[in-house]
Amino acid sequence: MTTLQRVWRLKNTILNLVASRCSSCGYITYPPKMRCPVCGSRELREEALPREGEVLSYTVIQVPAKGFEDFTPIIIALVRLGDAKVLSEVVDIKPENMSVGMRVVATVRRSAETIDGGVPYVVKFKPLKL
Amino acid sequence: MRKVYVAGVGMVKVGKHVDKSLRDLAGEAALKALEEAGNETPEAIVVGNMLSSLVEQENLASLIGDHIGLRGACGFKVEGACGSGGAALMTGYSLVASGLFSKVLVVGVEKLFERPSNDVIRGLAYAADADYELIYGITFSGLNALLMRYYMNKYGVKYEELAYWSVLMHKNGYKNPYAQLRNEITLEDVLKSPVIADPIRLYDSCPLSDGASAALLVSEDLRKATDTPVSIAGVSNSIDSVDLSSRLELDHLLASRVSAENALRIAKVSLREVDIAEIHDAYTITAALSIESIGFVEKGKAPKAWSEGRFSPGDKPSLNLSGGLKSRGHPVGATGVYQLAEVVMQLRGDFPGVSVPAEVGLTQNIGGAGSNITTIILRR
Repeated sequence: MTTLQRVWRLKNTILNLVASRCSSCGYITYPPKMRCPVCGSRELREEALPREGEVLSYTVIQVPAKGFEDFTPIIIALVRLGDAKVLSEVVDIKPENMSVGMRVVATVRRSAETIDGGVPYVVKFKPLKL
Repeated sequence: MRKVYVAGVGMVKVGKHVDKSLRDLAGEAALKALEEAGNETPEAIVVGNMLSSLVEQENLASLIGDHIGLRGACGFKVEGACGSGGAALMTGYSLVASGLFSKVLVVGVEKLFERPSNDVIRGLAYAADADYELIYGITFSGLNALLMRYYMNKYGVKYEELAYWSVLMHKNGYKNPYAQLRNEITLEDVLKSPVIADPIRLYDSCPLSDGASAALLVSEDLRKATDTPVSIAGVSNSIDSVDLSSRLELDHLLASRVSAENALRIAKVSLREVDIAEIHDAYTITAALSIESIGFVEKGKAPKAWSEGRFSPGDKPSLNLSGGLKSRGHPVGATGVYQLAEVVMQLRGDFPGVSVPAEVGLTQNIGGAGSNITTIILRR
């Protein structure tokens, strides 16, 4: 169970999708790190990821962890956003309509209640309708 | 560094032990290992465990050590998610190899059947990134399902090809008296089993398990007077990102490759010399990624290889003669120590299930979705 404090602390990286880009080798990583996982440089700068991207892989969770019963089945995807990848839920779509390569866009939605009774908002993805 | 030998091993049958507590399970395995080693008294106890907090118990080395009469000995717990057992073995090995101690007991233990399964499923997801993965309701099966679909899509591998691994594992585990799921299954059984996290079905997955396994590691002068002493010829542990998002490759277990290369180099053994191995097949996809990242076959080729009979008993290497995590079961923090005990028994020639003659064995124990991996090379 997450807490309000944790969600508050993560608001910038989670809601604005802030990654870290290495000033030395250019590698970008989400979630952000303190040191580049590729070259070891500590010269990293924050960079907001694009909010549109494509589904690299997805799963439909039928057996949930405690606290997520009301969200089941949960569609979770790894989404490519620019040069980085982000894991989150996909909403506004039936599981059978999901496909690898489909375009999605970030949207702010409600998540499972925190242990201290709060209703956190996080970034999820929805199908991009052109 | 001093040479390190395995003087005795002990296992409890993996399963649902309603009548046994965490300390009962650990104590039973530990005393079996000590008995096999001629009732030596260890100077230190290292415990591998991931989720004892679920049963409101930490301070495990003291709890278990005292339960088996080791007051005054050195003791602590080592944690590396599902790879805790392997990490505990590496720690125990280091204590003996360094000369600090000559007799170190390593115990892996896990007690899951004390809580409702949705609590346990959440607990297992503690191996994921709480801030960036668990917050969205991901489960451990879900993470592996993401890897599985990516792999199937990239290499054009069919679900059925991966699922066949489960059939092979049950065939081996059927004969292992320590295994949890001792029944043979068909491909149809796998295909008909319920979906947990699409594309992963129940029978693609290891079961939830209670269990404990132990090994007494000793210096060369104390090795058991037997014709077939087994040494730990090499051991290495390697980490990768916990989150899948920032992995460099989603179809390669970097930590598996690095720890295997290091362990083989330390052991002065080439991969071709490995006769048997116990690999960490928590899911069918984990088997494929493990086999490929250790280097037994190229990327994308493992399912085809095992469908054609590669890795079956008698092949070099023979994989998971115990039935693997799929059939033997996966008592999380104990699994790495089960793997060691099984390979030690294979090398000595006294494993009570499917067995093959072997000189060199390998164990690969994974924590998280590939983020903490220990590889051990054992030699007769």
